[in-house]
Amino acid sequence: MKDLKSILENEILSRVNKPLRYVGTEYNSVKKEWNKVKLRTLFAFPDLYEIGMSHLGLRILYHLVNEQPQYLMERVFSPWTDMEQALRERDIPLFSLESYRPIAEFDCIGITLQYEMSYTNILNMLDLGKIPLKANERKNEYPLIMGGGPCAYNPEPLADFFDFFVLGEGEEVILEVFETISSHREKHNGRQDKKILLKELAAIKGVYVPSFYKPIYVDGVLIEVQPTKPDVPRRVVKRVVQDLDKAYFPLKPLVPYTEVVHDRIMLEVLRGCTRGCRFCQAGMIYRPVRERSSEVLERQAKELIKATGYNEISLTSLSTSDHSNIKPLLKSMLDKYEQDRIGISLPSLRVDAFSLELAKEVQRVRKTGLTFAPEAGTQRLRDVINKGVTEENLMEVTTAAFEAGWTQIKLYFMIGLPTETFLDLDGIVDLAYKVLHNGMRILREGGRTRQAKITISVSSFVPKANTPFQWEKQDTLEQLKEKQRYIKEKIKDRRINYNYHEAELSILEAVFARGDRRLNELLLKAWEKGCKFDSWSEHFRYNLWLEAFQELNMEPQELANISEEFDRKLPWEHLNMGVTKAYLWQEREKAYQTVATEDCRYQSCTTCGICQDLGVSMVLERK
Amino acid sequence: MLVRIKYRKTSAGRFMSHLDLLRTIERIFRRAGLPMAFSEGFNPHPKVSFGSALAVGITSDAEYLDVELREEFPLDQLRERLDVAVPSGIEIMEIRQLQTRTRSLTAQINMARYRVYVPLAEKMEASELEQLIQKAMVQPTFIVTRDGKKGKRQVDIKNGIYKLEGRLDEDYIILQIDVQTGSEGNIRPEEVVEMLRKTGDLYLREGLQIHRLGLYVREEAAIKTPLEI
Repeated sequence: MKDLKSILENEILSRVNKPLRYVGTEYNSVKKEWNKVKLRTLFAFPDLYEIGMSHLGLRILYHLVNEQPQYLMERVFSPWTDMEQALRERDIPLFSLESYRPIAEFDCIGITLQYEMSYTNILNMLDLGKIPLKANERKNEYPLIMGGGPCAYNPEPLADFFDFFVLGEGEEVILEVFETISSHREKHNGRQDKKILLKELAAIKGVYVPSFYKPIYVDGVLIEVQPTKPDVPRRVVKRVVQDLDKAYFPLKPLVPYTEVVHDRIMLEVLRGCTRGCRFCQAGMIYRPVRERSSEVLERQAKELIKATGYNEISLTSLSTSDHSNIKPLLKSMLDKYEQDRIGISLPSLRVDAFSLELAKEVQRVRKTGLTFAPEAGTQRLRDVINKGVTEENLMEVTTAAFEAGWTQIKLYFMIGLPTETFLDLDGIVDLAYKVLHNGMRILREGGRTRQAKITISVSSFVPKANTPFQWEKQDTLEQLKEKQRYIKEKIKDRRINYNYHEAELSILEAVFARGDRRLNELLLKAWEKGCKFDSWSEHFRYNLWLEAFQELNMEPQELANISEEFDRKLPWEHLNMGVTKAYLWQEREKAYQTVATEDCRYQSCTTCGICQDLGVSMVLERK
Repeated sequence: MLVRIKYRKTSAGRFMSHLDLLRTIERIFRRAGLPMAFSEGFNPHPKVSFGSALAVGITSDAEYLDVELREEFPLDQLRERLDVAVPSGIEIMEIRQLQTRTRSLTAQINMARYRVYVPLAEKMEASELEQLIQKAMVQPTFIVTRDGKKGKRQVDIKNGIYKLEGRLDEDYIILQIDVQTGSEGNIRPEEVVEMLRKTGDLYLREGLQIHRLGLYVREEAAIKTPLEI
């Protein structure tokens, strides 16, 4: 048989769409000699190349690991359906991008868990790689399957398929994990003894081995997820980077040939957000806020431009306008790079005048769109979700935007939030009209010929684990659809563009976001029926999911919800992400009393638990 | 300063589309610390112009681009800096400074030379191949159907095939062909293979491989490369 590389290059790649998705020869990609390292690892992103390559976490871990001489890390993404077909037709196993090696030949595969609707792709990738799906079916000759990322804080729906999960910030722990695996292999003649190795891994802080824990149900009610081995912790605590200035950051990152979704330098200016929106999982699991200093950021920007050649730097974070020194930093970078036509972009803007000033600065080099997220249509509901934004804020910022030359503004909202009534939906419509009419007036008075246009993008609320709203009931599919229709009927003006997501997808997201181990079976069944790329509307097959539910006697609506009692154990309670259950509950109660919680950066500590229990603290640059 | 660069597109880079290439070139210059000149206007773009766009999947020994820089550099320094900044898909071959802005590369280049590996499904004798090529080349016309924006259209490619040679190597025919390219007309190597297949009773396997050997300015007196004119 000809080698995989020549078959791929000569017979397969030229026949699939966008072959560069499968060719790991990008600038700054790392190719190491297979036989000269102690451990061969693979980063798997269960979605398309263009999505996975836009993910900063991949670049951080890929380069961190490859900078260690004793390890190598290659990449693999979900192949698009045309490539999958080509592989299956010719019985070619899924392969890594860098060395075109079957993924089963690696020692350890790390799969990133970024969103629930990528789970079927995980099973599909393992299957394409000819790796048994269930951890207990994988003997010692198979790679260890490791999971990490935001969904690892509730990995129970995936527990059967993974050998272990890593909780928290990967750059803090991954080298410890690999050191443990590679010294284990050295002691065992270059092989692994999974039974022993998993015990060694479970001793690392932040590592969760699901097979060492057992959920106990009484009358169908979860009582506890209990350790089954004496030496494993009752609760696994996440790992956190304390100092972002000292944390590893790749200064020679991959530069794709082909366009990916975020095709620019991603410079992480801060991590965490304590604005405290009660629906937001990222705002809870990435605490505390840690800013990177301006000095380090300036130096990194300079090196990154030199090493990548990109013409745009995105200052990324959950809320970039919150960085203590964002304004001088932005100005200084723009001044420095304007003549080389290197632009700066800000991915997330608060709804306030300050953020608009920043957006105006940015326009010096590159024109960009404007997006704001009021999230809810009325002040009452915005207070419930603790989104500290008022209608005055929104009108002020959009007025300034129209005056400054923008003609199109995009607004994000959510439907299905706790306590929502149709008055709140009216509020979304009213706000959209208000912003539009205000914009039309400003443009008319300014004698400008272009028309004002508003896009409202409305997503459905998904209650997520580890948020104050984790106990909330999700709207039924019918309710969500009715609300979507309700808004649609009220928007008559063609200058308002109304987008919404498939409600079916939001129901499934809730099922998996708060699911327990019983969902492993459901996931397997749905995948067997052909579900994959669920987050791609052209591939999403809700009817197949429904069949899977039915065959297992499961009810989506029931699974999408959990008990609303505080004392009931949550499926993920044996995993500690830092913010306490008591704090989340207290935030939930405050939501129902419409009481605001201030940001601990500007007010006193809210004792959410992160700094108290994890021995970390907030890092702000301001003096 | 204005320079003309000859580069190769290697196996690693052959799946780059023209758009991918454009992005990549701009990044190469930025990495090399060579400041490109930008056009004026609302959305400035770097002043680069290419020879002839290479179809996705094809490797090449000689591609050309003209680029304007905001500063002057000695050519050897230019070369050194570019060499470290290119990704594995691109290799710099030669750089020449242009004194004045001449006609664009696309306007000048009118011929391409390809080497094509044609996988045979049946064995073939050298004499059969020779006869086949002769028979194909004495035809006054050969019509192919192309998909255009306004639907299918018929094109005679015969006049644009300047030279066609071939030899056998195990179960491959290795062709070397000179065809018309550029603004006056473009002949794709696959079309020349199609002509051969239809002229004789050729049975082919999948896996045609195309490699561009060069781009030329073909005049009555001589054939020159874009660096020679």
